[in-house]
Amino acid sequence: MSRFFLRRLLQSAVAIFGVVTLVFFIQRLAGDPTLLMLPDGATRDDIETLRHQLGFDRPLAVQYLDYLWDLLRLDLGQSLIQRIPVLDIMASRVPYTLYLASGGLVVALGVGVPVGIVMAVRRDTRLERFLAAFVLIGQSMPTFWSGILLILLFAVTLGVMPSSGVDGFRSIILPSIALGALTMATFARVTRTAVLEELGRDYVSTAQAKGLLFRRVIRRHILRNAATPIITISALEIANLLAGAVIVETVFAWPGLGQLAVQAIAARDFPIVQGIVLLGAFVSIALNLAADILYSAVDPRIRLEGKT
Amino acid sequence: MKRWSRSLGFAALAAAMAFSGAVTAKDLFVVDLVQEPASLDPHVQWNPDSYFVYRNIFDNMVTRDDEGKIVPQVATSWRQVDDSTVEFALRSDIKFHDGSALTAEDVVFSVKRITNPEFKSPQLGQFNSIVDAIATGPATVQLKTNGPYPVLLAQLVKLSIVPRAHVTQVGNDRFNQSPMGSGPYKFVSIQRGVKTTLARNDAYWGPKGVFTTVEFHAVPDPATRVANLRSGKADLIVTINPDLAAEIKADNRIKVLSVLSERVAYFHLNSLTGPTADLRVRQAIAHAIDKQGIIDGLMGGYDKPVATMMAPVHVGYVEGFKGYAYDPAKAKALLKEAGITPNTNFTLFTSPTFDQRIVQAIQQMLIEVGMKVSLTSSDFAGWLKRAQSSPAEFGEMTFSRWSCGCQDADGVLFPLFHSSSSWAKSRDAEMDKALEAGRSSLDLNVRLQHYKRVHEIAEATLPLVPLYQAAILYGARKELRWRPTPNESFFLNRMAWDG
Amino acid sequence: MSDVAVPQAPPSPAISLRRELRAIWPFLLIFGAFALLALLAPLIAPYNPNSQNLLARLKPPGTTVRGIFYALGTDEVGRDLLSRLIHGARVSLVVALLSVMVSTVIGTTLGMIAGFYRGIVEVIIMRLVDIVLSIPAILLAIITIAVLGPGLQNVIIVLGFTRWPRYARVAYGQTLTVTGLTYMRASVFNGAGVLRLLLRHVLPNIAGAIIVVATLEFGLMVLFEAGLSFLGLGVQPPTPSWGSILSVGRNYLGTAWWIATFPGLCLFLLVLSVNLIGDHLRDRLDPRSSR
Repeated sequence: MSRFFLRRLLQSAVAIFGVVTLVFFIQRLAGDPTLLMLPDGATRDDIETLRHQLGFDRPLAVQYLDYLWDLLRLDLGQSLIQRIPVLDIMASRVPYTLYLASGGLVVALGVGVPVGIVMAVRRDTRLERFLAAFVLIGQSMPTFWSGILLILLFAVTLGVMPSSGVDGFRSIILPSIALGALTMATFARVTRTAVLEELGRDYVSTAQAKGLLFRRVIRRHILRNAATPIITISALEIANLLAGAVIVETVFAWPGLGQLAVQAIAARDFPIVQGIVLLGAFVSIALNLAADILYSAVDPRIRLEGKT
Repeated sequence: MKRWSRSLGFAALAAAMAFSGAVTAKDLFVVDLVQEPASLDPHVQWNPDSYFVYRNIFDNMVTRDDEGKIVPQVATSWRQVDDSTVEFALRSDIKFHDGSALTAEDVVFSVKRITNPEFKSPQLGQFNSIVDAIATGPATVQLKTNGPYPVLLAQLVKLSIVPRAHVTQVGNDRFNQSPMGSGPYKFVSIQRGVKTTLARNDAYWGPKGVFTTVEFHAVPDPATRVANLRSGKADLIVTINPDLAAEIKADNRIKVLSVLSERVAYFHLNSLTGPTADLRVRQAIAHAIDKQGIIDGLMGGYDKPVATMMAPVHVGYVEGFKGYAYDPAKAKALLKEAGITPNTNFTLFTSPTFDQRIVQAIQQMLIEVGMKVSLTSSDFAGWLKRAQSSPAEFGEMTFSRWSCGCQDADGVLFPLFHSSSSWAKSRDAEMDKALEAGRSSLDLNVRLQHYKRVHEIAEATLPLVPLYQAAILYGARKELRWRPTPNESFFLNRMAWDG
Repeated sequence: MSDVAVPQAPPSPAISLRRELRAIWPFLLIFGAFALLALLAPLIAPYNPNSQNLLARLKPPGTTVRGIFYALGTDEVGRDLLSRLIHGARVSLVVALLSVMVSTVIGTTLGMIAGFYRGIVEVIIMRLVDIVLSIPAILLAIITIAVLGPGLQNVIIVLGFTRWPRYARVAYGQTLTVTGLTYMRASVFNGAGVLRLLLRHVLPNIAGAIIVVATLEFGLMVLFEAGLSFLGLGVQPPTPSWGSILSVGRNYLGTAWWIATFPGLCLFLLVLSVNLIGDHLRDRLDPRSSR
């Protein structure tokens, strides 16, 4: 088991290295940020001077090795635009994305799980079909659309929520709803499937035969057994939530990593983009590994590599 | 290295505090910017969101009043010693926010800092005509330029004075994160991505601001900025387009503020290669564009058509040029004469940063006179590259807006028309000579003569079609009293409340 | 996403095809209607979707200007919204369809190869899958478009080349199941034999799972294109796509709500229908999947 784990760890390291290299070269294919940094009317000399000072006139291979060397010393570099260490900038944005992702997860679980339970219990009824469509609403609209609708309704018209930014606890509610709506359906479905499987088990019919309160049966036993796949899926869906956060953060002016990434890519602030992608890859791979371990810990019969 | 973990902790705490509710003060003034300031060190970046903020933290050598005239700020008076030397007398009562006095040494230090190539300032090109700075007394400075440089004062409007002792002591990196100047507002804090906070400098030597505290918020999405204004979350928002302005006008708690700026929109043509190398084709394009139609139809009527690349706010503006009238029939005739068929390909390259309604409207106008124009788009960096590339890579045409931040012909016409500039897609020896002469005379009338010649040649040879002087629109609470300036200066201490 | 399984739902009692269709026929109908619209766009659309009229900007639905009846109103440069929506159906559906096709082909092929040959080939392909999957999808798309430039063609390429790992994962897992977990040495078969084996025996068995993924990805691609348009990186003007019209329309919600509302509605109906169809397919074809 541990040899397998070690192998996976090694492969994960290779994957992270691959990600970093891929993004490094793709970004530089498009050019460098020198032109973006200069005012209108900068002469060819001005451009070349700045380009040389920033080191972009060196061969790509040299720039790459320089970057790797820094990376090995855990130096993510400085933002080209802000001249502040990338680590500092990212560190100040990470909490916001975490808050938003957590908020989204809370919404997705808070709606998805109960709906999933109802869907399982009322299987093949019109209610189930209605709920299936209901949770899919969030996945059927672009978030920039649902976002602005939420803002218009709750912030501008009703005035009960702040329209953007970070300003007290209420400001996380609308973005969380917009984000959580993206994965509600997934949780509903997983819950439904898990609960259905439990419902088919003997102990349920025994309990029903004994006349125990059905709801108590659900709460005590079914949910406990169904919790595992829900938790496993949570680990995987977090990656989706983080990706969805990119647009949600832009619409709601939420100062997280997603918004930072979009701006940094447009400004060709390479060190920041590389830093964020590195972090994203790290988190994604770690979550995958965690989900695999969780699942194998629960059910050692299941082989981890290659099972559907 | 430990710093980042401290930032993480601080940010987490700050976020928690932010969540516990913001303090709402009546003399808190909230401004919504597009992005957070990239840097508050005035010499580091060229970026509107940054200078909206740092212009209030620092004083500049000279400044422009609301009419656009250059008036004293740090420098009280100046005289031309010889063709390449100007002597400035400085105010003696200016104090930095830490109480130390602003002296000639600080001015010299600031000039040398920004013109040092190793400092990597993107603004270097605007100040590198200054070859030396000498403090000739505690309150006098001499600046030496590379030959006669008539644009010196216009460029000095943008030179912020930083405290030599403080910067040398804390180092550039610390200064960047915690700037200190002598301006009407002091830097308080920056919460990355969230807001930047300034507090009024009550010991300011000049007109003091009305607001006690000012917060700048970064709100990238224009629709959200308008929503913030409507919900009262912001008092002033920047960068709105005319259609959003219409939404603001419909709400009677808020209003639109506009100013005709020094940005001039133009349609740049390739005079050297391709189908547009034929003058008749360029003339046809000039006749095909309905400037007033675009202004009235798309821009809400705020902008003003121009016949040359200059507007009245520029030094170098000359009256009397008519430009090309909107005449689609004439355009068609010229195209036919030049042998343009429905199969001749024209590429209009653009970028989402430009107002796509205008780009599409122009494309449509050209299509209507029989030109086959296709749009191709890239990100802004890609656009910049293409705009400054060789004529062959440039293609045929592009739409853009130009601003030098100097309100002077030299900053506009030279880069666009002189053959040594990577922007120019035309070549005219006489134009070159006139541009060079315009930038080497200190006599305003002589300069205007030369620029008149430049305008004449430009109108005849059409290296580009000047379109309109762009209006800059802001959204504000109804009670705000403020007159935006053509150079988008954004001085907080020139704003006040009604009544 | 890893290859973990979730507990299998006990299958529904056997039901006939007619009852199956009864459950999802409205959504099939909606999808079919949009597909038809997309197919016949130039014939159905009342006007040229690109012809502007600056004097007829932002007119509400039902207005007539100079003899032209704008059923759904006009947009910010005076183009007929209805015609743009009809042509936009074509663009949105084509982008989704083509990118799904590209990803399906690439992903299924690589997944099958990895699952069949095992060994070093499997490791290389699956690590490549890991690499591409660990970059947040939208960031990868944005970065790549920044290099290639926006536009219809590049959006399809970018979407196709960033989504294939999802298919590869599924194809890989399913291939393993189908070919048994025992190691099949590739040297036993010659070239033609392998190809026939994969196409005749493996592919039909994994097709169900692949179709489920493809259906759900279809809806996602429609939304992705909309998201890219929002960031200014999608289909470029004047080409209409629902995503780009919606994205522009967001700025006019106060003054010209129709510009955003109608494409928003279309997007919503299309993606919802596709998602529900996909949901249903998954229940029938591949209830074990964790997707």
